[in-house]
Amino acid sequence: MTREEIFEQVKTILVDTLSVDADKVTIDARFQEDLETDSLDLVELVMTMEEKFGIKITDEEAAEIKTVGDAVDFVEKRISVA
Amino acid sequence: MSPILTPHEVHERLTAQAAGVTVRVAVDAAGGDNAPDEVVKAALSVANERLRITLVGAAARVRELLGPQPSPFIEVVEATQVIHSDEEPVKAVRSKPDASLVVAARLVGSGGADACVSAGSTGAVLAAGLFHVHRLKGVLRPAICTLMPAVPLPVVLLDVGANAEVRPEHLRQFAIMGQAFATEVIGLPNPLVGLLSIGEEPSKGTPAVIEAHKLLAADPTINFYGNVEGRDIMDRVVDVIVVDGFAGNIALKATEGAAKVIVREIMNAVTGSWRAKIGALIMARDLRRIRAALDPEEYGGAYLLGLNHPVVIAHGNSKARGIANAIRTASRAVTSGLLPTMGARLAEAVGNGGPADEAET
Repeated sequence: MTREEIFEQVKTILVDTLSVDADKVTIDARFQEDLETDSLDLVELVMTMEEKFGIKITDEEAAEIKTVGDAVDFVEKRISVA
Repeated sequence: MSPILTPHEVHERLTAQAAGVTVRVAVDAAGGDNAPDEVVKAALSVANERLRITLVGAAARVRELLGPQPSPFIEVVEATQVIHSDEEPVKAVRSKPDASLVVAARLVGSGGADACVSAGSTGAVLAAGLFHVHRLKGVLRPAICTLMPAVPLPVVLLDVGANAEVRPEHLRQFAIMGQAFATEVIGLPNPLVGLLSIGEEPSKGTPAVIEAHKLLAADPTINFYGNVEGRDIMDRVVDVIVVDGFAGNIALKATEGAAKVIVREIMNAVTGSWRAKIGALIMARDLRRIRAALDPEEYGGAYLLGLNHPVVIAHGNSKARGIANAIRTASRAVTSGLLPTMGARLAEAVGNGGPADEAET
């Protein structure tokens, strides 16, 4: 899976699952400040990412994911290891 | 459609079973102070050919309580873990995939049941609902919606605890969801919506409330009354009241607490002497009516509005009657037009200053 494909999937999760405005989802967008997601939204995002990409994300790792780019990086690394 | 006149009629509407439709409700058998005994009793009292129950919990114990000849309309699904009320909700839901509540929510999310009922911790039910039933498309924040004691009828109040802080747009969505609930589930034609604040004037309230007033007033799909104050809740100035989850929870508990004390004192007063008892006998019907209007258990808990399927949170201290009412109301939400109406109104609202329009300005 390419980085662009991962980004598109993360974007789909944000738009479809969390009702985030698609235009606001860029690679640099910060979850809390720019996308106005709260802590519950982030857990929902992490759980949906686990399901969609077949990976496991610990609470400590999830706490480090602050931007859309962080999420894409995380998935990219985890998939390339697996 | 005729207007509803009594709390009894509200109860009837809420618990009405649709003809010709079979509903499957997943029930958390380990949720609440009186689980699993009262939960099983509740299931036994409501299960029938058209209302099938899946009890999720410690299967051996549940089967034992169901007795030697269990109902053919009750199924049991094993769940080895339990989420306790003192656990941090999000962490518990995430770390206990085999908890009864999580298994029940997953069952609904995967299509194995149509609705979910739990008397477990509100926070955990909210988290399990969000993570496994998922929100309806376009919903920014699900809200906890309840029927609050009021006279002559209960009033629809949301949010009473899902979101401590809200943006004006969230309050507008709560208005749309609450209006759909009042129309579809209770059957009130064209319900009137009020915004809870500290004064009637549009300029009163927190910045979010003032902004929300403008959004609600400008939205042609909302039958908006304006601001209402705390004293207007029980007087039932409007049919639906929207508020953030923090103030809403305080308003709910304060009203329920006051109602409880007043009912208790009336009952004490009318049974205090032989003379009073004679008066009470004459007034018995009216007294019962007031008591029913003010009894939270009558309406079967709170709805988590804004998810793909109905999730009902019963009071933690519910007995079989309260849980049975919660199961019936969950079933009612499935067979009513609640979800399609809510989905359509939210989509419509995007064209009336909703999230997409807001982003453009």
